[in-house]
Amino acid sequence: MGKLQGMSEASVTNSAPVRRKLSAGPLSIGDKWFFRTASIAANFSFVLVLLILIFLLIQALPAITSQGLPFIYGTEWNNSKDPIVMQIGPMIWGSVLIGALGVVFATPLAISLAYLIVFMLPSRSAKAATTLVDLLAALPSVILGLWGLFVFTPVAAQWSSLLNSYVGWFPLFQVSTADNGFLGSPFIAGWIVAIMIVPIITSITREVFSQLDRDLINGALALGGSRLSVFRRVIFPTSSGAVVGGVLLGLGRALGETVAIFYVLQLSFDFNWAQILEPKGGAVASMILSKFGEASEEEVSGLIAAGLVLFILTLGINFLASVIVNRAQPWRKI
Amino acid sequence: MSFAPRPSVQPWARVNKSRKSQIFLASVLPLTLSALIVFFTGLDQNLALVGVFLPLQLVAASLVGFLAFGRRGVGDSFLIVLVVFLSTFVLVLLVSVIVSLVSQGAKAFSWTFLSQNNIYVANTTSLDFGGVGHAVIGTLMIVGLTTIVTVPLGLAMAVYLTQSQSKTKGLVRTLTQAISGLPSVVAGLFIMSLALTLGWERSGLLGSMALLPLMLPTVARVAEEALRLVPVDLRYAALALGAPNYRAFFQVILPAAKSGLVTAILLGVARIIGETAPLLLTVPINNGTSWNIFSGNMMTLPAYIYGYLASVFEPSQNRAWGAALVLMILVALLFGATRLLSRSKSLKSKPTKQKASK
Amino acid sequence: MNSLTKASTLSSENISVWFGQRQVLSDVNLVFPANKVTALIGPSGCGKSTFIRTLNRMHELIPGAGLAGSVYLDGEDIYGEEFDAVSVRIKIGMVFQKPNPFPTMTIRDNILSGLRLSGRKIESADEVVETSLRRASIWNEVKDRLNDQAISLSGGQQQRLCIARSLAMNPQVLLMDEPCSALDPGSTRRIEETIKELSSSMTIVIVTHNMQQAQRVSDQTAFFLADDNTPGGVVEFGATEQIFNGPVDQRTNDYVNGHFG
Repeated sequence: MGKLQGMSEASVTNSAPVRRKLSAGPLSIGDKWFFRTASIAANFSFVLVLLILIFLLIQALPAITSQGLPFIYGTEWNNSKDPIVMQIGPMIWGSVLIGALGVVFATPLAISLAYLIVFMLPSRSAKAATTLVDLLAALPSVILGLWGLFVFTPVAAQWSSLLNSYVGWFPLFQVSTADNGFLGSPFIAGWIVAIMIVPIITSITREVFSQLDRDLINGALALGGSRLSVFRRVIFPTSSGAVVGGVLLGLGRALGETVAIFYVLQLSFDFNWAQILEPKGGAVASMILSKFGEASEEEVSGLIAAGLVLFILTLGINFLASVIVNRAQPWRKI
Repeated sequence: MSFAPRPSVQPWARVNKSRKSQIFLASVLPLTLSALIVFFTGLDQNLALVGVFLPLQLVAASLVGFLAFGRRGVGDSFLIVLVVFLSTFVLVLLVSVIVSLVSQGAKAFSWTFLSQNNIYVANTTSLDFGGVGHAVIGTLMIVGLTTIVTVPLGLAMAVYLTQSQSKTKGLVRTLTQAISGLPSVVAGLFIMSLALTLGWERSGLLGSMALLPLMLPTVARVAEEALRLVPVDLRYAALALGAPNYRAFFQVILPAAKSGLVTAILLGVARIIGETAPLLLTVPINNGTSWNIFSGNMMTLPAYIYGYLASVFEPSQNRAWGAALVLMILVALLFGATRLLSRSKSLKSKPTKQKASK
Repeated sequence: MNSLTKASTLSSENISVWFGQRQVLSDVNLVFPANKVTALIGPSGCGKSTFIRTLNRMHELIPGAGLAGSVYLDGEDIYGEEFDAVSVRIKIGMVFQKPNPFPTMTIRDNILSGLRLSGRKIESADEVVETSLRRASIWNEVKDRLNDQAISLSGGQQQRLCIARSLAMNPQVLLMDEPCSALDPGSTRRIEETIKELSSSMTIVIVTHNMQQAQRVSDQTAFFLADDNTPGGVVEFGATEQIFNGPVDQRTNDYVNGHFG
């Protein structure tokens, strides 16, 4: 013990202790290859994104350079003109409109279903409903297109007709003529897209609701909360960030939706701003599919450019989704 | 501290008689009233549902809620009626997809349908001839090829994200997320661009390549979650015994994450098995059976459905439904397999019941 | 909001509790007199937390919950027809083991959250906030940051915030389920002082693992015990002084002297 006293005088130096370098790297040759393989795979994601952008750009460049900026906002696609005119303005807007409609229809339905499953159903029914919803989330969109065309369109046309006859004075619900049976409208496409994304949003919302800290809900109930007040003041605010993220994810899916609405839409190169019952306008993905079969070389380039625009759009939405989720829930434990 | 029989009705579940009759009336009256209105005025059913039944139900339920609990009862009843109404609405739509799939698809379903191809089939040929055999084979081959390439890739990426110390993990995750936002039609356009640039012919191989960026993010994400679920103590235990990282991984971590990894594969396959747009752009179709994925035409289930979808001829429409049913069954099988796996895993990991030591 | 409601007497009569078919509590008869602090002690798993949840009708939220017997608040059965669960919880508040402030709300909003959740009108909100925080002995620490997020507080402060939140409801009875078990000794001491001050205006029932704590804060104590595979119940109930220094039952004696548990 005396040594300590002696040391305390001698060791009053000014330098901080020297940090030693520690590493948790490969422990053997086998390890070297193990980590190397993993890195190569990880780099592949980088390579893949690069390849996608490069090849799309290469083939889209002719169209982009010949059409210029009007490609995005113009309204004409004429392959008999020389030079060829390709503009996808109404299609981009149409994709956005249909996507927005899909989200507007789907979100209340999905949140209701999630609330029902987590807070109202007994556990066996809840499990069955969860399985059903998760299975439907895996449903291929071509099957939805089949159902949408044969089973759902007549029903949605009936709804459109009702809307038009009762509130047709409102600009949203106006049509040029009521005689075409209300087919081929963004309204119908929006509903089909909504059915497509409801399972996705429901799944995410259900998971968020059930992972809510049970203590929070118990705390609210112990304070005298009723069903509505606990939902409005505790459940919804706490989960809203993640739910919005789920909704945006659904929107991203809706924008890229090709086949489900392909047979339901009537593509026309006119901007359909908000007349949702009118068969006007279109969607980028459906347009690509419809023109692809008979496209000339220049048109193919235009279609690829359209795909590039669509990709950028969905990238933006996905990015927005992750930003919102992260900012809205700073207390998330993940 | 003795045992006693548990009462059959709990104190909080006792509902007095007048309350019971109120609830009964509130449930039945709006329905009968709406039905009568529809019957006598011929009002459109959809309109009656939303315009007559729903408001009546809301009012009736709010009334009962108010009588029972005062002001807050109104809000609660409103919430309950709204939630049940909207949920039923969406469930009816979702279930109708499955019901119409099964009922319409069953018309074409037969052993012939599953095994034959469509070489000699015209638009009006009866359903006794032809089938989706070639499409099933094509789908299995193309999806199989994608799976063979994607699974090791996705698994390696998951390993990278969970096992290595690198600083670029966040970047890799962001990139993977970016790829997962790729619309399926653009994935097809990507490979098409590649083929045009390099002068390659369209074929089943190109279809497989187009499906890869669609499958990869799913496999990588689910595999990463599966690896992450393995308790970190297992890895430490292995390392503490002197194992190098790769042995710790293959002998300890991988077996522990096995069912989660299989789930990752199954979910990845389910994700791409129904993808239509990429295949339409990259794989020329065939009415006969093709075993060559590297060149020539090949039929796939989604392309088959797409082809017969808009036909005006009824046999063709039935074929489309039948093929859709086959596709749905495949997806359901994959899905069921993942559920079975997760159930068996949770049963295995439950500790044997010990005496309550709380 | 100036006059505090009168404290009430709470009592349980022949309470038995089931989870599904398994009976976990048998025949609990206890009286919690007004303005007194009662501690519930006993080893883990003998049903103290379960019992306390029957006192504010939180037990019925658990799927498969079963109950027999009655709980009387000033002579009226809270499971009877005059009461529904929500009105019971407004009069009988609860503080949980793990602090659970609402993460989306500020400190101020957390205090007012009970009033908003139960749909009551808030008059003079600032006064309510200050009174509640003072009664919970945390006013001085947070008075300058009422609009900060509640989760920015430390664990001990969050728990006192939850106590203040319950106090804002002006309950007649306050139930506390091991409120200090997740906290450090300093916070524990402060909460114990708060409990002693609060008992002058309300009835308090506190579940605790800590026998010294029971001796410090409570006027009377109930000792719970459950043998293997039999339902739990009250072995002995009486003045705290007597339970700890001169227990009647041998099992009580063994427990308070640390021979088991």
